[in-house]
Amino acid sequence: MKPKVAFFDFSSCEGCQLDALDLNPEELIALLGAIDIVNFREVMSEKSDDYDIAIVEGAITRESEIGRLQNIRQQAKILIALGSCACIGGLNCLKNHLPMEEALRIVYGKDAGYYDTIPARPLNAVVPVDYYVRGCPANPEELLKVIKAILLKKKPEIPGFPVCVECKMAGNICVFERGMTCLGPVIRAGCGAICITSGRFCWGCRGLVDEPNTESEKEILTKYGLSVDQIVEKFKIYNSYTEVAR
Amino acid sequence: MPYRRSILIVDDQQIVRDSLSDWFKQAGYPVTTASTAEEALEILEKHDFGIVIADIRLPGETGLSILKEVRVKRPWIKSIVITAYPSPESAALARKLGAIEYLAKPVSPDDLEKLVSEALSSTSEATVSTSIYRITTPETRRINQSFSLNSADIRAIVEGLLQEMEVIGVKTKQGKFVFDRIKSFEELCLDYDVTVLPPTRYLRPAKEALLKYQSGETPVVEPVMDTTPRAIIGIHPYDLKAIELLDEVFITSNPDPNYIARRNSTILIGVDCLYPSKHCFAPSMGTHIVESGFDLLLTDIGSSIVATVGSAKGAALLTRYTHAPLASGEEIARQKAVREEAWEEAILKHGLFLHIPKEKLPKLLEENYDNPYWETRSEKCLSCGSCVMVCPTCYCFDVQDEADLTLKSGQRVRSWDGCVLVDFATVATGENFRHDKASRLRHRIYRKGKYLLERYGKMGCVGCGRCAEACLAEIASPLEAFNAIAESDALKKQMIAREIKTRSELYLPQFAELIGIRELTAREKVFEFKLPEDRPLGHKPGQFVEVMIPPIGEAPISVSSSPTRGNTFQLAVRNVGSVTHAMHNLEPGAKVGIRGPFGNGFPLERLKGKDILFIAGGIGLFPLRSLIQYTLDCREEFGRIIILFGSRSPSERLFTDELAEWSKRTDIEFLETVDRADQEWKGNVGVITTLIPHIQITPRKTISVVVGPPIMYRFVIVELKKRDLADDNIIMSLERRMRCGVGKCGHCQINGVYVCQDGPVFTYAQLLTLREAV
Repeated sequence: MKPKVAFFDFSSCEGCQLDALDLNPEELIALLGAIDIVNFREVMSEKSDDYDIAIVEGAITRESEIGRLQNIRQQAKILIALGSCACIGGLNCLKNHLPMEEALRIVYGKDAGYYDTIPARPLNAVVPVDYYVRGCPANPEELLKVIKAILLKKKPEIPGFPVCVECKMAGNICVFERGMTCLGPVIRAGCGAICITSGRFCWGCRGLVDEPNTESEKEILTKYGLSVDQIVEKFKIYNSYTEVAR
Repeated sequence: MPYRRSILIVDDQQIVRDSLSDWFKQAGYPVTTASTAEEALEILEKHDFGIVIADIRLPGETGLSILKEVRVKRPWIKSIVITAYPSPESAALARKLGAIEYLAKPVSPDDLEKLVSEALSSTSEATVSTSIYRITTPETRRINQSFSLNSADIRAIVEGLLQEMEVIGVKTKQGKFVFDRIKSFEELCLDYDVTVLPPTRYLRPAKEALLKYQSGETPVVEPVMDTTPRAIIGIHPYDLKAIELLDEVFITSNPDPNYIARRNSTILIGVDCLYPSKHCFAPSMGTHIVESGFDLLLTDIGSSIVATVGSAKGAALLTRYTHAPLASGEEIARQKAVREEAWEEAILKHGLFLHIPKEKLPKLLEENYDNPYWETRSEKCLSCGSCVMVCPTCYCFDVQDEADLTLKSGQRVRSWDGCVLVDFATVATGENFRHDKASRLRHRIYRKGKYLLERYGKMGCVGCGRCAEACLAEIASPLEAFNAIAESDALKKQMIAREIKTRSELYLPQFAELIGIRELTAREKVFEFKLPEDRPLGHKPGQFVEVMIPPIGEAPISVSSSPTRGNTFQLAVRNVGSVTHAMHNLEPGAKVGIRGPFGNGFPLERLKGKDILFIAGGIGLFPLRSLIQYTLDCREEFGRIIILFGSRSPSERLFTDELAEWSKRTDIEFLETVDRADQEWKGNVGVITTLIPHIQITPRKTISVVVGPPIMYRFVIVELKKRDLADDNIIMSLERRMRCGVGKCGHCQINGVYVCQDGPVFTYAQLLTLREAV
């Protein structure tokens, strides 16, 4: 029996879903041979509420989303959080630093009264999450790895170490040596240090590692010329929801 | 590796050539034929083979001359000799020249095919592929010789290599230097300080496939190997030393086929480091200058480039692409001077050097495992892994299976991993065996300065300084760690020396006041002492002191009381020698010299939570009493307490009041016996071993602590072994002549062990390794 897979989205740009099946054609065909996709708003009009695996993108930012997510959780045997918003709250949580009314006013202006909003949160603040496919956008190869692990009933081997490991493996020159600053030392790898390899720096989209030495990281950022406010801003972009940025 | 299966058939008879050739072609082997040895040798200059099948008698040179050449130039080729004129002499010669088979004609092609297939499949990993590069060792170019090159020669070599193989060279990247694939001579940069990653990444890449597999009814597992011919140009001496260590790790013990395949197909061209980086401390590690470990080593001496030959491959490069003459004596002297000047200058400029000889590192680290330095040093550690990722001698890896979507096939890949990463030592149950930063940082430094050296005989750190440069928290440099530990060690030793000085030497006692005397039997008394200012003795149960009564002398006496019984201490003494005799004549208020406490004492931590079976014979109770009291005072920390005590006769029973108390208590089990009863004695009679069958013990949970005369040990151990007690769970305290108490005089030594320092408490397991002990 092929497992039935459904995609869902909450507050997000839906980019992770767009990317999710951006595989090479052979891989895609092989994947479709291994699972049945029964619900995927972005690519098909059929819908089914009978599914085994729910792949969920987006953060929870409205009261009404809580019940919807709980229903999905109830139906799905396995729930996979897809992308930064779903895994760690992501960019959505930037608004948490404002009073909710002000956030509404900034976004909707005089129409603010028609909308409701609550502080943004990742999926696991509402329901238990079984697997995390991190990143902004999430890496389709990693989603594939998780799906294969589920099919094989094994634990997916997703790196728990910081970006520095993959950055060194890629043969990069350290961002700090190039006169910029980087969150790589405390952020989860798995992205292959893609931003740094492309000449930028780590923004922190995969979230903090399990035991981040944020004190040391802050000290280093200070040493390389960042003010406390700048450091907080840097952490806030993706990691507002965690304690660090507070 | 197509050549591995290919066969060269050399025979002057066309019919033989054709029939064998057809046969093997049909069996799927690529076949080449030659009719003379000369023709074969010419073919062998250009092409590689797995097997050569050669006839001996040929027009011109014999087939054996092919074997001779093959052995020198392509030692991996296996050869089979066939001849219509077999003789013991030619057979012996063929064997000597490496032939794996010597067959008399006519040869059955079927048999021959079997031989070939066996020979090819037995190709060991070690000889898997070496370079397909043409190796010719010219008479005039030998290993260790140096030649004088100019820049055009270097260009010729590099461009020649570019034609033939993948060339890795040092080039610039964003203001730094890296080893990377080069496509032209112009990209190459040989006057660099240090590269971001070491060249070892081409011998053990960040990620590589080890196996391909297919599961199912007949599972298939195939090795995956990279035998791409490759030259690495511009390796500094410290990195060559690192490769030597990797060779030791991956080739000498449990040969690693993937490493060997790469290593064998790689040409290493070193270059002397004339501009050491500011973090480099190679001279302290003895890795700044190398005499071997390269195929070719280049030194830019200004007027010319001296190339030292390290292997036949290196010699061949020079022959093939240059007409370089031997370097002059002057040039060789200049080569030496240029190297040394560069490093001297670097040491002066950067001030980086090890403050102790590197040979002392293992011992230094051994003695500083618990140094608080590791904790403080690691506070800033990000556990980011940068230090191990850039290290040329770090080689730890992770292995993962990557399945295809069929879920039936896939590959097993290995990728770099490192001991400073949080999850490195985590097992499936979630237990992390190196869970704190400090122990991870220490482990890494210990690998660098101790573990690898002890295991492989080569320094685990080559002093390249890459980790120091990569570490944002600035805590990774092994040199800084080594020096800090050396400094703190020296301070510690100074303090010990100072303390000894202020305590006025090792052999001076402190004076304790005798505050109580109690007669135990006609021969035994117990004395209670108090140190000045009510200081506690600071002893552990099972330790002893040296008691000095001038001018009589000094004697070792075990402490009979537990440290839990206040600041005084008791010594129970049998009147048996001069010092003990003098003690027996002491009056309260007397001052007695005390040195110590000495010895290891009983292993309290090991005993906690266990059932303790005490077995004391006679005055063995004196030392054991300190531990019995301790366990009774901390009763809740121990399981069952069982005490067996034996005396020779009722009149020789010791501490009778305490024996009575023990027998009354319900939380201990106390059994007593005497060897010979008198009229009043109503208890057990018999030697102490007769008590052992009366008790029930759980061997797994029980530790027995036995003290008594030597003869008693022998019989008690036999009984305890009958009750399934492990050797490690039988603990004894030994009596020896402990003259000095500080492990110097030598009287108490058992084989290599000083009882006064390493004992007097030993497990039976330890004693079994000491032949003199029991």
